[in-house]
Amino acid sequence: MLAGAVVLWLFVNGAFYFMSRIRPGRFDQTYAPHILIGGGIILPVVILSALLVWGLGILTDPRRPGDGLVVRVTGEQWWWRVEYWPEGATEPIISANEIRLPAGQRAEIHLTSDKVIHSFWIPALGGKMDMFPGRDTMISLAPEKVGTYRGQCAEFCGASHAWMAFSAVVMEPEAFDSWLEAEAEDAVEPAGDAALRGRQVFLSEGCGACHAVRGTEAVGQVGPDLTHVGSRQTLGAGRMALTLEDLTTWISHSEALKPEVKMPAYDLAPDRLDDLARYLEGLK
Amino acid sequence: MAEHRPDRNEDRHEFSEEQASLFRITFGPLIWALHFLACYGLVAVACAKGADIAMVRILLLLGSVVALGGIGWVGYGAFRQWNVVETGDFVHRRGHAEDRHHFLGHAAFLLSIISAIGVIFVSLPLVMIGGCQ
Repeated sequence: MLAGAVVLWLFVNGAFYFMSRIRPGRFDQTYAPHILIGGGIILPVVILSALLVWGLGILTDPRRPGDGLVVRVTGEQWWWRVEYWPEGATEPIISANEIRLPAGQRAEIHLTSDKVIHSFWIPALGGKMDMFPGRDTMISLAPEKVGTYRGQCAEFCGASHAWMAFSAVVMEPEAFDSWLEAEAEDAVEPAGDAALRGRQVFLSEGCGACHAVRGTEAVGQVGPDLTHVGSRQTLGAGRMALTLEDLTTWISHSEALKPEVKMPAYDLAPDRLDDLARYLEGLK
Repeated sequence: MAEHRPDRNEDRHEFSEEQASLFRITFGPLIWALHFLACYGLVAVACAKGADIAMVRILLLLGSVVALGGIGWVGYGAFRQWNVVETGDFVHRRGHAEDRHHFLGHAAFLLSIISAIGVIFVSLPLVMIGGCQ
């Protein structure tokens, strides 16, 4: 792609330089048919044919069947419900707002949506694929390099569309397997008094009506699963970093940070807010 | 030498002939359009209804061959009408009836080339993908 652009740039600028510096003035008209037919018909046909054949060759890559892992992603306003179905699984491993994939393997991403059309896009790994309510679409991705890539909703889906993002984390296959095993576990016990008090705040403030933390009474399905929220890289679907400071800011200002979000901003006493943030941050 | 006396019907004859070749210049693009419609329509319906895509593919590839043959035939006729081998005229600068006649052949010939390219481009996915992925 870059090479093609460089050749084109050199050609256009070279032609301009030739016309303006080397041979200014009028050209003989006998050149015209050659330039028109060669540059206007033959060259574009050859270039377009080559691009078409090359493009058709790679067109079906994103529809190729995967090597086993299936990730089901549901677009919500404005976050991502994520289920991992490893090969042979009978029930999914639930997560949210982050996609992890093993390097060197092709994974099938099955997409659907809750209410409106979204579009799933990790530019570094592949093309876009729309997510429709009541319909399944599929894109398969075969990431090669370990790293973290940004994913983004690419179809306008409401007030906070621009804040509907996620991290795509590509890991070594062994690391991915052990991460997935840990992700399937229930939430860890809070470590320390503050986190213990935080869990109490979480349950007494009714957070569990919308959020699930597996292994506790919190089983809500309205918002993202928070069982391992502390191990994620971002908060609020790519809105903020997952730090204590951002957690307190998010809980107390969710509506300002993400317009029209379902989660209300909580006006908690500072020490209770801090405890709650410590609890969530500890949910590794 | 007797002066050329215009026949009353001469203009009408000329005009009706040009009208015919005016239609003829649309034949190449028309075949291309029909082929395009058949490909996109049949593949869309076959894939949506789960019909036998291999069969549809063979049918459409045969259709491509027929379309290319038709365009080739139209193009050959147009090339002869243009008569460039004899006249060497690429520009048709004078406005005589004969120039118009050649010009329409020339235009139809170029249009049949682009129609052939169009048919080939539309057929390439049939050759290279050949499924409903």
